[in-house]
Amino acid sequence: MSSIAAAAPAVHAHHDDRSFIRKYIFSTDHKIIGIQFLFVSLFFLFLGGLLAMQIRWQLGYPGRPMPGGGILPETMAPGGVILPEYYIQLVTMHGTFMVFFAIMPLLVGVFANYLIPLKIGAHDMAFPRINMWSFWSAFTGGLVMFASLFVPEGAARAGWTMYAPLSARHDLSGAGLGQELWSISIVLLGLSSILGSLNYITTIINNRTPGMTWFRLPLSVWALFITAILGLLALPVLSGAAIMLLFEQILGTHFFDPAAGGQVLLWQHLFWFFGHPEVYILILPAMGMVSDIVANGSRKPIFGYHSMVFALVGIGFLGWVVWGHHMFMSGMNPTLGSTFMVTTMIISVPSAIKVFNWMGTMWRGNLRFHVPMLNAIGFVAMFVIGGLSGVFMAATPVDMPIHDTYFIVAHIHYVLFGGSLFALFGAITFWYPNMFGKMMNERWGKIHFWLTMLFFNLTFFPMHILGMGGHMRRIYDPTQYNFLKPYQPMNTFITIAAFALFASQLIFALNFILSLKWGKKAPLNPWEDNGLEWTLPTPPPHGNWDRPPTVYRGPYEYSAPQVAEDYLPQTKKLPTDREPAAAPVAGH
Amino acid sequence: MAHATATVDVMRPPAPAERGVDVYNLKLGMWVFLASEVMFFTALIGSYIVLRFGASPNPWAQPGKVLSIQITAFNTFLLICSSVSMVKAYASIADGNVKLMKVWLLVTILCGATFVGIQVYEYTHLIHHGFQPSGFREGSELAELAAADPVKYGAATAGLYGSTFFTMTGFHGFHVTCGVISMTYVFIRALRGKYSQQDHRGIEVIGLYWHFVDLVWIILFTIVYLI
Amino acid sequence: MAETRHAHPPYLLIWLYLFVLTVAEIALAFELPFSRNVKLILLLLLALWKAFLVAMFFMHLKFEKWNLRLIAIVPLPLALILVLAVITEHVW
Repeated sequence: MSSIAAAAPAVHAHHDDRSFIRKYIFSTDHKIIGIQFLFVSLFFLFLGGLLAMQIRWQLGYPGRPMPGGGILPETMAPGGVILPEYYIQLVTMHGTFMVFFAIMPLLVGVFANYLIPLKIGAHDMAFPRINMWSFWSAFTGGLVMFASLFVPEGAARAGWTMYAPLSARHDLSGAGLGQELWSISIVLLGLSSILGSLNYITTIINNRTPGMTWFRLPLSVWALFITAILGLLALPVLSGAAIMLLFEQILGTHFFDPAAGGQVLLWQHLFWFFGHPEVYILILPAMGMVSDIVANGSRKPIFGYHSMVFALVGIGFLGWVVWGHHMFMSGMNPTLGSTFMVTTMIISVPSAIKVFNWMGTMWRGNLRFHVPMLNAIGFVAMFVIGGLSGVFMAATPVDMPIHDTYFIVAHIHYVLFGGSLFALFGAITFWYPNMFGKMMNERWGKIHFWLTMLFFNLTFFPMHILGMGGHMRRIYDPTQYNFLKPYQPMNTFITIAAFALFASQLIFALNFILSLKWGKKAPLNPWEDNGLEWTLPTPPPHGNWDRPPTVYRGPYEYSAPQVAEDYLPQTKKLPTDREPAAAPVAGH
Repeated sequence: MAHATATVDVMRPPAPAERGVDVYNLKLGMWVFLASEVMFFTALIGSYIVLRFGASPNPWAQPGKVLSIQITAFNTFLLICSSVSMVKAYASIADGNVKLMKVWLLVTILCGATFVGIQVYEYTHLIHHGFQPSGFREGSELAELAAADPVKYGAATAGLYGSTFFTMTGFHGFHVTCGVISMTYVFIRALRGKYSQQDHRGIEVIGLYWHFVDLVWIILFTIVYLI
Repeated sequence: MAETRHAHPPYLLIWLYLFVLTVAEIALAFELPFSRNVKLILLLLLALWKAFLVAMFFMHLKFEKWNLRLIAIVPLPLALILVLAVITEHVW
């Protein structure tokens, strides 16, 4: 029986004589780029959280001066009292930062970059320099968006969905430069996404190491592949729309101007044609990584690997024809609306298949409740709730009263926070040792998980009730409506829970930062995982492998009978294994 | 596993690797990029189609009234010629003729640059006569012509006409310009002897981009100028 | 050896083809007495034909593997879905 555990990998680090700047600032190494995305995105996640705290203050204590609000300008919050003009900026920018500069780059910018070459046995991405430009383009976009908070008239304020004509006309919104900077920032982000996607797609198609056939790819890689295709084809539509919006703002075009024959719904269609694939971009990588972690934590192969792949492909495919469900109340063509209702109902099926498969994986597994596993299980549970509310919204007649209410806000946050963010907490903890050579603290990780789970549900579950009671989104002062006054105690309750939720995240932040220096040194394969990335030193050297490794089996051979250990890495050769088919003629 | 020997064929997919799409990375990457470009132009051209369809019963300006067909027909011819010269450049280097490749590449760059120049001229001409992204400028020659004959000049839809025309052709022109700059860079590398029969990936790949730009123009010329 | 060696397609012939089609388009748009809708359809067909020639011969798609052709084709149905769906907004 072979002993996998302690054998040091026979790998020699490439002789690396690059300068500090080439190594860590303008790096073309996919691992460094992934880590760059990580630090920048965590900053924006924190910023989005700060904006959310202010929103919750206003909703919980309408019109009352906010503690610390004195630092805000008088035009936005005189005496710390949030003005409506500022409130609508908070709501807009919270959504914008969280979607575009936190969750998307955390899932894709970090993990596509970091994991793909490692998990497929490649030295780096197909185009390392384009990868670098992808990061710096996103960074510049983030800088522009951040700057828009500080311009004289304030930031964009038409909601993160930027509906025209409010977003297009300065006389309607009151925002000028801030609105224009939003458009410019989004174009830069779109470019970053497109460049990244083309890298991921090319690398996965062409640079898989011998033996790494399509159906031996880990589900994280499959998910990132489908995500990249979605990003490649959806982001350009957003960029086009954002450019049209910018021209509307600065060149006086009339795309969305009904008085000149333009169509307001054109913006909505363009935006959501991008927007729906976007939400799958925000969940698919999380699903993929959760699959890897759940298999690892269950010490069992993923249940139904092939159906998991087909479900990913199915979601990617169907995701293009459901966008109208965001527009049921827009006044769109009703027949078109009904079509979207049907397609939206259908798309719940592949997601359900995945949930059953995760449960099937855990069933009678030798469960290890390490921090990543806890977060992954949390993902599954919260995603089910978020998905169920989606079924409500998919039915057009049901969507009519709940559209633009807090029911939608609850859904969004159950899938994005309960789903994507929990998956991220798990994924960051899981791959932290590979990235930094240290372990995050297990005990504080568990405390963070349970506190987050508690306060997350206390914050967002009541929003379903608010929404069904008619509490609308983006509203500044609910108490102005008599029918909403009875809900005010619930709003206050949510606010307090939200403050506790935010405070709990400080535990994760501290755990992350302090472990960089004082964390336990990571052993070679701390999670006893099958992935290729764990056959390298932690962290892996520049260029990853001296010679490309050979893959002999699929990614989830846990509790395999052939070996004593309960895991069997993809690259471990057993006497019964055959070499993969001869590689094609030597090339570049 | 043996390392790649000195006779590595870079015009083949990377190795050792599982079988992908049987082309080298740069070519696959360019095709993937072009797929994204199709979606970008879909947003712009699709919006044009939607807006023009939706504008009826208000009439759109008739072909040739606001825009000059003679100049743009010549430009179309020029771009098609540049596509031929580009593919001849590729064929030359694929057959091993470096010198001929450089000649054809230069021809392509000159045709492309001329195209851009003519477009700039067209734009200044149009703006001078009062056609701008927001429609017909008040008090301009075009505004007066449109007031006199609102059907022929599509007075009621002038705002949409200007918005869609300048955005579509402007971004196409931007892509052509990027192409000319990239080809100039490739040409300089060619002068330094970087391309050969064994490695002419850069030529093939910039050719793909250039043909794509030509293809978009073929669509644009028809649906913007002729319909 | 470079990818599948085959004789180059007749580029100059394709160029001539494109030239003739372009002239046909302009003639159709301005000289020929068809109705507006017929002109629209014929012009679109001519444009697509030209585009097809450029894609198949200049961009070499005719000689590439099916999976590379797939990458080129995939965005097209998406584009069609978007445009057709949004056009129905006007129709109703």
